[in-house]
Amino acid sequence: MKKDSSFSFVVRHLSFLKHIPLFPQVFDSLLKIRIFVTKPYLLDWFDEIEAEVLSWDEADISLHRYGGLQFNYKGKEIGHLHSNGLLDVLYHKDTKLRLLKEGRIEPHHVFEKSGWISFYIFTNGDKDYAKELLKMAYDRRVAGNLLICSY
Amino acid sequence: MTMNFYQKTLLKGFIVSNLLALFMVGLFKYTKLQDNGTLVFSIFVIVPLIMGIVSSWFWIKVDLKSKPIIGYSILNGLLAILLSYVFLREGVICLLIVSPLIFAFIITGAFLGRTMFRKNNQRLNVSVFSLLFVVFVTDSLSEHNYVNLVADEIVINATPEQIWKHVVAFDKIEKKDNYWLFQIGMPSPSQTTVTGHYKGAGRKCIFSNGYIFDEKIVTYDVNKDLTFDIIGQPLDPEIMGHIDILRGQFLLKDNGNGTTTLIGNSWYRLHVFPIWYYDIWAKSITRNVHLRVMEHIKVLSEKG
Repeated sequence: MKKDSSFSFVVRHLSFLKHIPLFPQVFDSLLKIRIFVTKPYLLDWFDEIEAEVLSWDEADISLHRYGGLQFNYKGKEIGHLHSNGLLDVLYHKDTKLRLLKEGRIEPHHVFEKSGWISFYIFTNGDKDYAKELLKMAYDRRVAGNLLICSY
Repeated sequence: MTMNFYQKTLLKGFIVSNLLALFMVGLFKYTKLQDNGTLVFSIFVIVPLIMGIVSSWFWIKVDLKSKPIIGYSILNGLLAILLSYVFLREGVICLLIVSPLIFAFIITGAFLGRTMFRKNNQRLNVSVFSLLFVVFVTDSLSEHNYVNLVADEIVINATPEQIWKHVVAFDKIEKKDNYWLFQIGMPSPSQTTVTGHYKGAGRKCIFSNGYIFDEKIVTYDVNKDLTFDIIGQPLDPEIMGHIDILRGQFLLKDNGNGTTTLIGNSWYRLHVFPIWYYDIWAKSITRNVHLRVMEHIKVLSEKG
């Protein structure tokens, strides 16, 4: 998977800056400006992913605390999309292992041992796969919620 | 030609956000809340952020997608920069330097606003605006003072005795500017003259556009230390009220092998904030002023 080297540099070496109010959001805006100039079609795909998630029951969006768009189910995060096309989604570790075997995703770019995964959107096919990844995480949350409710 | 709802809504976003910004900056400037015309960080951070939020309050009615939000926010920033040029009489290079900050915070504000207004939570909206207002007022009333030093050094293949006369004064620098801000019109150092070779003598640093920095020699330690205070700087809109050059210094250190280390120091006071942004520019510009002068001194000294 081709990585965004400037994004990785900031995340690895300047991560302390995330504690400054608004810094992550401003950094994400800079990523948006870069995408706007270099790959504007990605912004249309981000809107499409956002519209898809918002069409699901009780799903909503918010700003992610470390920059990007956060997708929620009943107010709890299922994943977030950074404005360079990096999608991070949270799964159970078994699901993560299964997806890793499929070979399209990677362990999370920071929390490698957690249930989080990372996936870069480059192509139209990647955009569709990103929607699938979010739907899987959403369905797991809905199922988990139903299980809790049935008790 | 009549405007449709989409165009009217877009226009309202541009007009109201810029009027609000003009009002805030105008209020700040004309109430003279800061000494020496200091421009606080709120002017470059909170104001564009509010501009972005206010424009998105209008634009959410026409459900703008990400691409147009970014495009129109950049246009909104350009409009704000144009208004600053007209009403605040800022210099072009100054506005070029400030533009990344304006664009980044306007776009951040526009997306923050879109998320806020979609939730339709009045308590959240009022809280965000109140918080930004409190930060703006507190920052405007706080004392701001920032002085820094930039130091550079080069090694010259000549003795301090050979170098000294070129440090005190030098003829016109003919070399082409290779720093990008000098190439696009920022004045670069061109020549230096002195009224005498003693402590208390006057010195003039002449820039490429004819602007002159008046200096007074405060230390004249032959072949070792030339220190001068800046007693008058030009009324150039690019620097006026933004940066004061306080003192300059050349130190010569004999390396004992026929070479000399020439150290250039400059002290300056910034009147524009946030420091984490503007000091990067101040250091870069000062460094390139140093290097242009010091490299010229090196060429003259090594000629013999």
